[in-house]
Amino acid sequence: MREQIRSWLESGEMDAFLGFKEVEGHPIPHLFSKANLAELEGLIVNAPRYPLETLVAEMLQSQPGMKLGVLGDETTRRALNVLSIWNQVSPESVRVIDPDQFAPEEKGARKVFRVSEPGPVKLERGIDNRLGVDAIQALDGDDRVRRWMYEFQKCIKCYGCRNICPVCFCKECSLEHQDLISTGTVLTEVPIFHLVRAVHMAGRCIDCGMCEQACPADIPLRLLYRKVNSIVMELFDYENGLSSDQPPLSVLGEKVVLELKPIH
Amino acid sequence: MEYKIIPSVCSYCGTGCGVLFKVMNGRLVGTLPNKTHPVNEGGLCIKGWNLHEYVNSFLRLTSPLVKVKGRFHKATWDEAIQVAADHFTSIVEKYGPDSVGVLVSAKMTNEENFLAQKFARAVIGTNNVDHCARL
Repeated sequence: MREQIRSWLESGEMDAFLGFKEVEGHPIPHLFSKANLAELEGLIVNAPRYPLETLVAEMLQSQPGMKLGVLGDETTRRALNVLSIWNQVSPESVRVIDPDQFAPEEKGARKVFRVSEPGPVKLERGIDNRLGVDAIQALDGDDRVRRWMYEFQKCIKCYGCRNICPVCFCKECSLEHQDLISTGTVLTEVPIFHLVRAVHMAGRCIDCGMCEQACPADIPLRLLYRKVNSIVMELFDYENGLSSDQPPLSVLGEKVVLELKPIH
Repeated sequence: MEYKIIPSVCSYCGTGCGVLFKVMNGRLVGTLPNKTHPVNEGGLCIKGWNLHEYVNSFLRLTSPLVKVKGRFHKATWDEAIQVAADHFTSIVEKYGPDSVGVLVSAKMTNEENFLAQKFARAVIGTNNVDHCARL
């Protein structure tokens, strides 16, 4: 795989390759380019998931037309597909390199620190993050609402779920819209904050799980968005990231072109 | 195109969460949590997520300001420290050392906190030392 990437970079078929390199003991996203080919020896393929898709979008916004390679998997492809549907990246500029296709033995398990082992209080009052949509659906209605509210009220409003999301790119975010959610106050509007985000994940979420990993309060966000998107699948037969059309929930006209998010 | 991810530690509080700075063409454009950092394990609070904003903020103070006749004026460090020292001396002379208190920060290093309490006890002559975690 490294030889293949090296030859692409050397021939100019690829201007840069976004992968991981170990820095100070941490696998850190790193941009490999023709200028530093020797660094490719240190390419790491089994790093935890980072929003590389967002980095790709930022780079392409700053320098349109550059040819990028990115280390990723099926989820990365779906995220980039969503971004290209919404005109955030041009699909011909990005090539996803899946280590599974080149060196499956190297990939191994993705190493993450946080393993979601729920404690007794969470089991009694909240929702086990490992449960599936059907298991939650099977709970009694009142109990289910109570459990979700328990999870939502833990929110510290860090906006981490929004910030790390590879398919969150709107210039004006509803979570900062004064008519919906007040910014600058610490207590989260429960459950509006989470439901607004859940509605916006409908037809967009590619189930990468980074929001839940980034959540300091361990709210089962992935489960919430899975539920939302099972409804989208059921009603519209639309599967996020696999379709080449915009989702059926675009309400602002025939074809919505969202403004590009400005780089700070 | 130059895009670097630089690991660092959040400068807001004493927790010390690991962050990654996104630097594009020499400009800090964003912050990410460090997922393999043992302190925060991939999470950040809202302040950590927005670390990059104060670095590029036009409101950021890049030099000391001295208040003269009710208005702030830019000054050099030597001038500013001299003004502060003169005022402290006159206050201590007039009201005694216990009229001064020193508040330190969880964000500073142990060594800097040690120096601050040394300054309070040995230079000013007061035991009025406290830190932000008790405010």
